[in-house]
Amino acid sequence: MTDQPPSPEHEFAEEQASLWRITLGPLIWALHFIACYAAAAVICAKLDASPPAIEAMRWSIGAGTLAALAGIGWAGRRSWTQWRDGNDDVFDDDDGSNEDRTQFLGHAALLLSIISFLGVIYTALPAFFETSCL
Amino acid sequence: MTTRANLSLPSAGRQAGPGLTSGSARERLALGPSSQLGCWWVLAPFLLTACDGPQSALSTGGADAAQLDRLFTVMLVGAVVLWLGINGLFLYATRRGGRPVSRGWAEALIIGGGIGLPVVVLTALLSYGLSIMPDQRAVGEGLRLRVTGEEFWWRVEYWPDGADAPIVAANEIRLPVGQRTEIELASTGVIHSLWLPALGGKTDMIPGRINRMSLHPTQEGLWRGQCAEFCGLSHALMALQAVAMEEGDFRDWLAREAAPAGGAGGAGAAIFAAQGCGACHAVRGTGARGAVGPDLTHLGARGSVAAGILPMTPEAIADWIRDPAAFKPGVRMPAYAHLPEDELTALADWLWSLK
Repeated sequence: MTDQPPSPEHEFAEEQASLWRITLGPLIWALHFIACYAAAAVICAKLDASPPAIEAMRWSIGAGTLAALAGIGWAGRRSWTQWRDGNDDVFDDDDGSNEDRTQFLGHAALLLSIISFLGVIYTALPAFFETSCL
Repeated sequence: MTTRANLSLPSAGRQAGPGLTSGSARERLALGPSSQLGCWWVLAPFLLTACDGPQSALSTGGADAAQLDRLFTVMLVGAVVLWLGINGLFLYATRRGGRPVSRGWAEALIIGGGIGLPVVVLTALLSYGLSIMPDQRAVGEGLRLRVTGEEFWWRVEYWPDGADAPIVAANEIRLPVGQRTEIELASTGVIHSLWLPALGGKTDMIPGRINRMSLHPTQEGLWRGQCAEFCGLSHALMALQAVAMEEGDFRDWLAREAAPAGGAGGAGAAIFAAQGCGACHAVRGTGARGAVGPDLTHLGARGSVAAGILPMTPEAIADWIRDPAAFKPGVRMPAYAHLPEDELTALADWLWSLK
């Protein structure tokens, strides 16, 4: 905490960045979802479901899933810090102060990261079990 | 507690606890005093009739249906356990306990019961469902069938291994036991869906597209199937019979089915020709080669007339020819009510004799 209150411009810029950050988890989930479904559609419908292509796709989805989970994990860790650090009333961020607002955005980002993490796993599960396009 | 005369009073609903007050009138009735409960329980056993019979997913004769039956049992048992657990907690919290718990306990319950448990249960169910999908979509071996949905009947073509022309039949599917048969699903005009609950799941038949399913009967038997996608006026009357046969019996049957009609001809055959029936229907071995309606080459050997809705008797065949729309609204076949009774009888007898 500084003695000098931050300038309104700086404060706005920081909150804007925080607002963008809460979309990071769902954004990674959406990109992962589109990539998985597009790859499956192209390989099954346009590449005649050739077994080597399916095998390559399954491994790629596996690698992409690990990358997506790492990204969401990082976003979640960051939002945990934003929510918890220096926060002595973690479930009472509704005083309307700038600090509380930032902490609330951190909390929301953490919850979104959790649901995105699960979403990515569920999106990838079919590639783990299915070995053909049938 | 006094008996409540009028069950539709809001207080009767509240009696059952919050969350249940918005139930339908029937639910509220079921929650009412025991005198009312009694008459509903009398009806309950009738629901059990759906657990058996030739068209039940709970009385299976095939590998695919058995797998779905197991899936259903797992989900039902799980749902009952969860229902009892949640309502037990609910009852405990509202009636028995009611003491405030510490913040730590409350958070553990909300995070554990609200996030942890659902994640574990959903992941397990999803993995289970996905793990049986490859079996449900397995490729058939040897024999291939093409079933085409028509309004309102089924065109059935058998393609034995290596065949270059199909053996055409209709409104009945025969499958060898202990073997997985590939079934191609086509349609003309509108969407239908082939469903033989005792053998496997259903798959839509979509115009302009070939869908596929495969069935693996595990025991001999007779099962009933039904069109499971609304397809027009007589959708509910579009059924079929499935016969699972031992492999040797099936081979013999298929050889008979591939042969031309063995009918002696005579009066019935002459009427069939004179009335122009052959413009729509084929009877192999005669001049009739129409492909608009069902192939009638071995009609008498099938289990039913008019796609599963009439018994295979000469009388039923005659009734059908006289006025098909009386049995199947919207049917394409015209009525032959102008035929004299004796000609109708002769025609029906001849068709019935085509075994």
